[in-house]
Amino acid sequence: MMEHVPIAHVLMVTSTMFFIGAYGFLTRRNLVTMLIGVELMLNAVNINFVIFDRYVYPDQIEGHFFALFIIAIAAAEAAVAIAIFINLYRNIRSIDVEEVDKMKY
Amino acid sequence: MSSEALIIFFLGGVVMVGAGILASNLLAPKSSNLQKAEPYECGVPTQGTSWIQFRVGYYLFAILFLIFDVETVFIFPWAVAMKKVGLSAFIEILLFLIILGLGLLYAWKKKALKWE
Amino acid sequence: MSLNELMIMRHEWALVAVALVLLIAEIAMPVEKKKQINGLAAALAAVVVVLGFLPAQYGSLFGGMYVTDPLRILMKNILNIGVLLIILQSVSWLRQDLYHDRSSEFYLLTFASLIGVNYMISSGHFLMFYLGLELTTIPIAALASYEQFKSKSAEAGIKLILSSAFSSAILLFGISVLYAANGNLYFESFELSSSLINTLGFIFFFSGLAFKISIVPFHLWTADVYEGSPTNVTSYLSVISKGSAIFILVIVLFTLFNSIQLLWQDVLYATSILTMTIGNLFAIRQQNLKRFLAFSSIAQAGFIMLGVINASALGMATVIYFMLVYVFSNLAAFGVIQTVGHASGKITIDDYNGLYKTNPQLSLVMMLALFSLAGIPPLAGFFGKFFLFTAVAESGFYVLLTIAVLNTVISLYYYLLVVKAMFINTNATPIAAFKSDYAMRISLVICVVGILVTGFYSPVFEYIKNLCETF
Repeated sequence: MMEHVPIAHVLMVTSTMFFIGAYGFLTRRNLVTMLIGVELMLNAVNINFVIFDRYVYPDQIEGHFFALFIIAIAAAEAAVAIAIFINLYRNIRSIDVEEVDKMKY
Repeated sequence: MSSEALIIFFLGGVVMVGAGILASNLLAPKSSNLQKAEPYECGVPTQGTSWIQFRVGYYLFAILFLIFDVETVFIFPWAVAMKKVGLSAFIEILLFLIILGLGLLYAWKKKALKWE
Repeated sequence: MSLNELMIMRHEWALVAVALVLLIAEIAMPVEKKKQINGLAAALAAVVVVLGFLPAQYGSLFGGMYVTDPLRILMKNILNIGVLLIILQSVSWLRQDLYHDRSSEFYLLTFASLIGVNYMISSGHFLMFYLGLELTTIPIAALASYEQFKSKSAEAGIKLILSSAFSSAILLFGISVLYAANGNLYFESFELSSSLINTLGFIFFFSGLAFKISIVPFHLWTADVYEGSPTNVTSYLSVISKGSAIFILVIVLFTLFNSIQLLWQDVLYATSILTMTIGNLFAIRQQNLKRFLAFSSIAQAGFIMLGVINASALGMATVIYFMLVYVFSNLAAFGVIQTVGHASGKITIDDYNGLYKTNPQLSLVMMLALFSLAGIPPLAGFFGKFFLFTAVAESGFYVLLTIAVLNTVISLYYYLLVVKAMFINTNATPIAAFKSDYAMRISLVICVVGILVTGFYSPVFEYIKNLCETF
């Protein structure tokens, strides 16, 4: 079934996903939502790697492994980010980016 | 599997479920009173909104769970190829697990596993 | 794994061992004895530095994923020395009652990040490179929010982790595009043609890396993060993590993207002008010294790009030499800011008025560091900048050279403002005289010696240049 889907369609999905994630990161005001935007971008890249392995270089597994490592590192990153969010919340009782403005020019 | 079989399977599913709902609607006796409109037939009605903030403790547990859950990503490929990669890979994965275990010990020492 | 292979990877093995020792110490030691961890960590860092200078084995491991050669070992040694200096500077800060039971976390995370730096410099595969990059940044984001009860610190951590996650997503997208075009992720056998898809991949890749070096227009996070983090973390960010990103950028551009040199020279041309100018213009109007050094370090990154743009062994040598000088000068400046901040809690330029009257030695160190950063003749910073300018002149970018010289003049102005505040301005309530602790003094002495020796002793540059020519 898989081969019926042309690679261009998959790539359209991944690049749309990537830029939706970037848009979300840049426009959202809630820190957790911004983190979700980044995760969306990383997942788009994951699909990219797997898809290139499947379609373009079927005899390689480098892309698959790259995707696995990205998943693990994204988890570590999310863990650290959320730990810092909790720390911020304990300090200012909010996770709205508009309130994260102690330092300005 | 051909696509016809899929369509038949799908239609069959819709018909079975639809027939069940229809039959129970037709056959079941109907009665209505105020008590039936409550969310729980027996028990205490809920108070306040369900959009409350969760305790920070949940997040801490979620973070710990996340980290020790994702380690499977590395252990699973090793387990699949265990016979091929041999003893040295076994030692390496053991080292990996020991380091993770040290991390868990650290979390324990810092009382992150305690529910307060 | 044979002993030979063990020796090839000895920087990393040593650091992993150190990190594990500290973790076990943290778990096993009772709270009352935690203050000894400071000495232990400094000693271990010194051991790591010494190990790095032992006669080396070169080669590649893991089928080419990990590569070492004399040049990479030199880069690692420079950064290891930097970390040793930072750890010496942190000791007194971490002895405070507020932090002493968490001090091992600071060292543990610093060493973890240093492991990432070493792996990143030695990477021979994009996966290794990415892992190193993330291992460099994630612990530092945790360290940036080390001061639990200050919301500024948490804010710095958030800004760092979110912008670094965003930038690494962009970088990964670039890598995935490059993978699609070439079907290979080993640096060794990477052959790039100048096609549109490779250009796209390169642009994404470069933007991701530019975030880490804080090149304009990807510099917006820098000042806030530098200001909010604890000062030692700021110095780590501005010296070690920026330095490692610059080193790997040089390696990657000169080996991997060699075939699209014309493209990346154009990109660097534009970004280096922007980076120098904007960094300098914003640095002029800063009052907070940490913010001031943040913008000045952005400007320095612009100067470093001048060496990269040369695209030859000479350019590479000038970049590495400049980084060596930059490590000593910047760490001296941060050391003074930190010890003054620790003793008096003061951080703005006006507070430094009349510092020479009360603390002459510290003011002299600060003056040397700032003169070296500005590039005033007998000091090392002058030769660093001079060599960078020679590299640009050699490749024929005369307009760029003119702009760079103008920028040096601007930077001279604001560095001298601080010196003027310390030596000439008078102050009714100057910072009281105080004595800094031994560890801090040792590190400042090493910095000063470094600034003087790398400037006066010319074989240093010759040595680096020889290594670059054989690279």
